[in-house]
Amino acid sequence: MTDPIVLLQILWTGVATSLSFVLLTVAFSLTQKVTGLWNFAQAGFMGLSFYVMYWVLNDLQLPLAVAVSAGAAAAAGAGYVTEVVGLDTLRARKSGNLTFFIFTLILAEFIIYWLALLFGTEPQTLFKSILSPVHIVGGIAVSNWDLTAFAITAVMVTALWLFLGWTKQGQCIVAVSDNAKLAELYGISAKRAYRMVAMIAGLFICAGMYLVGSRGGVTPNSPMELVLTATIATLLGGMGRVFMGALAAVVLAVIQSFSVLFISARWQALLLYIFLFVTIVLFPRGIRLPRRRIAGPPARPTPVIPTEAAQKG
Amino acid sequence: MEYILTMGVLISIFVILASSYNLVIGYGGLASVAHPIFYALGAYGASLLAIHTGIPAPLAIVFGGLVAVVASVLLALSALRVSGDYLLIASLGFQLGILQVIKNFEFTGGAGGLSAIPTTITGPLRTPLFLLICLSCAVATVWLVSSIVHGPYGRAITAMRDEELAFSALGRNAMSIKVVVFAIGCGIAGIAGGLYAFYFQYVSPEQYEVLQSAAILTMVVLGGMGTTWGPVVGAILLIAVPQGITFLNLPPSVMAPLQGIIFTTLVLIFLFVRPAGLVGNIGKTKSAQDQKALPEAAGKGGAP
Repeated sequence: MTDPIVLLQILWTGVATSLSFVLLTVAFSLTQKVTGLWNFAQAGFMGLSFYVMYWVLNDLQLPLAVAVSAGAAAAAGAGYVTEVVGLDTLRARKSGNLTFFIFTLILAEFIIYWLALLFGTEPQTLFKSILSPVHIVGGIAVSNWDLTAFAITAVMVTALWLFLGWTKQGQCIVAVSDNAKLAELYGISAKRAYRMVAMIAGLFICAGMYLVGSRGGVTPNSPMELVLTATIATLLGGMGRVFMGALAAVVLAVIQSFSVLFISARWQALLLYIFLFVTIVLFPRGIRLPRRRIAGPPARPTPVIPTEAAQKG
Repeated sequence: MEYILTMGVLISIFVILASSYNLVIGYGGLASVAHPIFYALGAYGASLLAIHTGIPAPLAIVFGGLVAVVASVLLALSALRVSGDYLLIASLGFQLGILQVIKNFEFTGGAGGLSAIPTTITGPLRTPLFLLICLSCAVATVWLVSSIVHGPYGRAITAMRDEELAFSALGRNAMSIKVVVFAIGCGIAGIAGGLYAFYFQYVSPEQYEVLQSAAILTMVVLGGMGTTWGPVVGAILLIAVPQGITFLNLPPSVMAPLQGIIFTTLVLIFLFVRPAGLVGNIGKTKSAQDQKALPEAAGKGGAP
């Protein structure tokens, strides 16, 4: 049997590694929840954000804070422009799902090709060295990168939760995600909500790419794999359930980490695709945990909003 | 001249791919993006059989097509239970999973690809003969797809696509039609893969990645989904135009991304300028085209 310390180390490393996926999944899942789109263009925004940070840090030699701000502005700006110029136009035309799929995928590839042209296809890291000081806590190696990743993820996810639940703008976004047409009847602009979500997603993308790029090499093509991981986590968590998607990203990364005990590392990537396929075919609405029944008064009937036709009738 | 003939071979192969994909997605309404994996399975199946048994190329190509048919039936029976976005992503997972398998096995050549595929035609007439063969296959594919969709079975296919519930209520088996359409389309893609492998004598997993899915899908959509000639026009345009810069003798590190940029720019422009496709709705007014755009051809629903 494997040493418990080794198992704990694998668990810790798996969870720490998953945090970049968590941020990227939140961006993808939130966009999917509010706009109803599988926005693969986010792969392009991920690459754009990373390479802007890389350029500002390494070529312009500016401080990290400036680089991260530039990366966030690039991802949020690209998301906003895509919403205004591309997606709004397609929505106005009532384009089909395939058109949106092609547009987002091709836009991602368009950005990726530009990045390949400008920065080459060799892996790049944000910092010259990706070695991070390590502390031994109870026999487990905990790196500074791990702690940074936990801090960034905790702050961003909590901030999003507070924003969606406790601010007027956040509640407008939730209302649009529940029913855009009904929300518009109440004077909430769906377009504004979509644009705001594009910018929020940009911030999460930047944070995620900061973590990815400060731990390992990134090539222009890497974000495509990252967005697929986000897709799988979104599906596993259940569409429309952003924070469950984030949890699914953690579970996926931990399973992948533990899989090294049973299968060769080169087959690890295959696990993701098996998860993707099986999830869609068997659990298209995500994995839902059974709800515990709590004794109490009977539930109130759901209020029915009379439709226009019913009122006329 | 050799280069132009090679381009002709490549365009013919992509006409086969786009037309067969049009049968699946345009007429059948099955939003799968895994077409390149059947192209890959055909290429690898034919190549491996020829390398290890030395059987003649035509038989190996037919075998490649059969491998694609078997794989497509397996995918169809499991994944066609879902539709729309779900099928799109399930098929993507299937494609990337099989590619991962191909990359990890040694007998498929791994990530480096499979070379030493036997030469079938040699001599100075090799390329013109291959062009003739591929062109004939392309014409045969367009004819076959057109015959299927304009016959009684084609009417059943489009009825199933347009109103599956009503179709099933009439006692017809929608699932069997879906599986057959999917298998025919994917089998043809497998044959295209075999043709590619025997001409270029090298196949690698990276040729069948997500971008290839987007490329074939784009050829169909921009040419005109659900039309006979749309995929042909789309394939010719999107293969030929990016190749135009080959004559500039740029270094490979610049050439490949630049061709990609030209390709994606073309797609983005056409997506907004001619949303109904180059061949679709010819003769109709612009506003009518805009209204029709893609929602009906590309599946119901659409984003909000």
